[in-house]
Amino acid sequence: MRAAVKSPPAPEVVEEKPDLGTPLLELKGISKQFPGVKALDDVSFAIWPGEVHMLLGENGAGKSSLMKCLCGAYQADTGAYFHMGEKVEIRTPTDAKKLGIAVIFQEFSLVPYLDVAQNIFLGREFKSKIPGLLDRRRLYAEAQKVLDRIGLEVDPRTKVHTLGVAQQQMVEIAKALSQDASILVMDEPTAALSDRETERLFAVMRQLQAKGTAIVYISHRMAEVFALGDRITVLRDGKNVGHAVPGETSPDQLVRMMVGRTVDMSYPRNFRAPGDVVLELKDISATTGIADINLVVRAGEIVGLCGLVGSGRTEVARAVFGADAITSGEVRVFGRIKQGGPDVAATEGIALIPESRKTEGLALIRTVSDNLAVAGLPKLFPNHLFSPGRARRSAEALIKRLRIATPSPNQSVGLLSGGNQQKVVIGKWLAAGARLFIFDEPTRGIDVGAKSEIFALIDQLVAEGAAVLMISSEQAEIVHVCDRAYVMRGRRIVGELSRSELSEENIVRMGMHDE
Amino acid sequence: MSDHALSAAQPRPRLPAIPGVAIVLVALALVFAAISPNFLSTGNLSNILVQSVILLLLAMPMTLIIMTEGLDLSMGAVLTLASLVLALTVVSTQSLVLGLAGAVGVGLAFGFVNGWLVSSLRIPPFVATLGTLGVAQGLALIVSDGQSVVGIPRFLRQVYSGETAGIPNPILIGAAFYALFHVLLYHTKFGVYIRALGGNRDALTLAGVKWQRMLVAVYMLGGAMAGVAALLLTARINAGHPTAAIGMEFDAIAAVALGGTSFERGNGWIFGTLLGVLTVGVLRNGLNLMAVPSSAQVAATGALVIVALFLDGLRSRKP
Repeated sequence: MRAAVKSPPAPEVVEEKPDLGTPLLELKGISKQFPGVKALDDVSFAIWPGEVHMLLGENGAGKSSLMKCLCGAYQADTGAYFHMGEKVEIRTPTDAKKLGIAVIFQEFSLVPYLDVAQNIFLGREFKSKIPGLLDRRRLYAEAQKVLDRIGLEVDPRTKVHTLGVAQQQMVEIAKALSQDASILVMDEPTAALSDRETERLFAVMRQLQAKGTAIVYISHRMAEVFALGDRITVLRDGKNVGHAVPGETSPDQLVRMMVGRTVDMSYPRNFRAPGDVVLELKDISATTGIADINLVVRAGEIVGLCGLVGSGRTEVARAVFGADAITSGEVRVFGRIKQGGPDVAATEGIALIPESRKTEGLALIRTVSDNLAVAGLPKLFPNHLFSPGRARRSAEALIKRLRIATPSPNQSVGLLSGGNQQKVVIGKWLAAGARLFIFDEPTRGIDVGAKSEIFALIDQLVAEGAAVLMISSEQAEIVHVCDRAYVMRGRRIVGELSRSELSEENIVRMGMHDE
Repeated sequence: MSDHALSAAQPRPRLPAIPGVAIVLVALALVFAAISPNFLSTGNLSNILVQSVILLLLAMPMTLIIMTEGLDLSMGAVLTLASLVLALTVVSTQSLVLGLAGAVGVGLAFGFVNGWLVSSLRIPPFVATLGTLGVAQGLALIVSDGQSVVGIPRFLRQVYSGETAGIPNPILIGAAFYALFHVLLYHTKFGVYIRALGGNRDALTLAGVKWQRMLVAVYMLGGAMAGVAALLLTARINAGHPTAAIGMEFDAIAAVALGGTSFERGNGWIFGTLLGVLTVGVLRNGLNLMAVPSSAQVAATGALVIVALFLDGLRSRKP
């Protein structure tokens, strides 16, 4: 498996390790292609009994895809699996189960209106002596045993939908543990847990390890990586970029491996002195869990908002736009306290360019012209009567100004390329007279060439006096494009980086380090 | 972070579990008792129960179908067709068993098609069963030639009008099937998977359960129950009639909705559906006593569904 590391690893990477004998499970040359993305590219990976194998990587590096191939939820396009040296197939979840693989999923695989016990033993029900019926007494007794083991004090008859997120995560863990698996895969199991529950989980993991269970552990928390891991594999862009052993590496080295690439992207940007404050958040907390958010965006500035997926970035954007209710604090836009929902936000000159542009930003089967007009209807047609000619003239002006590559204003938006679709979303807000733009992952699904064009456009917006708040998981983009950036972790802002402090290493370090 | 996890982990306080439908049922009964002295007589109450059984036989499988986030609009039409097949068979062969087998067979066939369309072809249940509704209704007109089937023998009528051990037959049949559905939903694998089908199909897939078959079985159960209901319907109206049960699926869906079964996430219960059926039964009966025309009764049923769901919505909307 050492030989299978094809990408040149960083020099610090431990290349050779003492021979541990035959791995419990070995994956060789796994590739998985999705339309437009190569999720996994020739990844090899092995686990030995009784070890905790840490899997590290940035968002989208392929960790979850690899786990899904391992548990049969995805079928790998190429590659082979070996169980104790023997070639095996993992095509379905049942195949994986037979090999003793159990997975704790990050997105819950629980059924809301079944109780805790029924969820734990879903698909493995206990049969009663009476044919066709279930042995409920045994179900609850067995469930209680598993719950005691992980120290979850919940009645096994509680319906899962009444539990909080942390308790649901513990039920997920109980479900995987109850399978007495020889290989246990955990996808960020502690993300929703309190310290006490986390401790309990780690204790259970140590017990399992002692019994020879192999654990694959995906984490974003450096402290966990070093506290628990016996071996570390780093993925980047769907490729296996190296292995390490905790005693012989450092958080800084791992971060460098995760970020990896020598940055060769250059986006055009003309930095200039910022103007008046356009957006100001003071101590914002919202029902979505974000707390004590303070940030400022000035005219002429592009401000980045970074952090891991789930750190609360999108929730901040939604709170500004009025899509979620704010429980405390105030949002000031152009100096005025903002109240009301998205409809008000649009008239006040705020534009939200959402991450899922195809479902939230555009009406795909409608024309370019219709899409460009839809946010600006009150502005374009002040007397409430639609005029096709006027809509077309406005659309033609925007198409020219944004250089949208479309054969005509009457083309369906769904037929345009990702980059041009994004321009239509931006154009629609320009038509509405927006002056504060909030971008959520503006370059997702856009090819490299079009990216620089989008950034040129964003630069042009701020040059004309607009203010931009940009959420991105692409740290390289934040580093190159932004005047400043805020870093989020655990639904709070944990730091601000000035232009001179902006680097991928700093962003990753702030976003994932424990205390 | 840990503060959040802890506060999120607090269990919600238990709400007093009086469903909106129970409040509506009691309120309706009180109103009718006040208006019509006849309402509370033993004879009338027994009447309400007897007249509710056909609806119960449809509403119980409808509950399970809706719990899988599905719907069966074809139930009324399939019931009509099954009733005609039953009447024709019994009239020509004088065999109750053959007649019932024919009716249940028709139901199973339609249930299979519905389930197959929904699970294998992934046609939305609303559309799939709207299509089979049309097919069943058309077949009903074809086999009956648009005419009533008359000459129903006495032994078939007895199924509805007779008594066993002093209890009207329909009540016994209804009670037996209620017990069956209760066991099915709460004490079998099938019941567990029904909740999972509506709640989280991925969980079933990951657990290695072949849920497509389960989904087909749920719709087949609905068809079979329409066949059983056909026995009571034919006995009750003493004929087979090509429009006998048109729109019955509306009452069934209304009863399920009244009972508090949700159209999402696999949240439902059979007892609620029983209450829903009784509520519809009480409403119809009371309005009959007040001599309200049946067309207005349909409108009243619809209004009632909205009231009960509004009450449930009030309770689940937390401060």
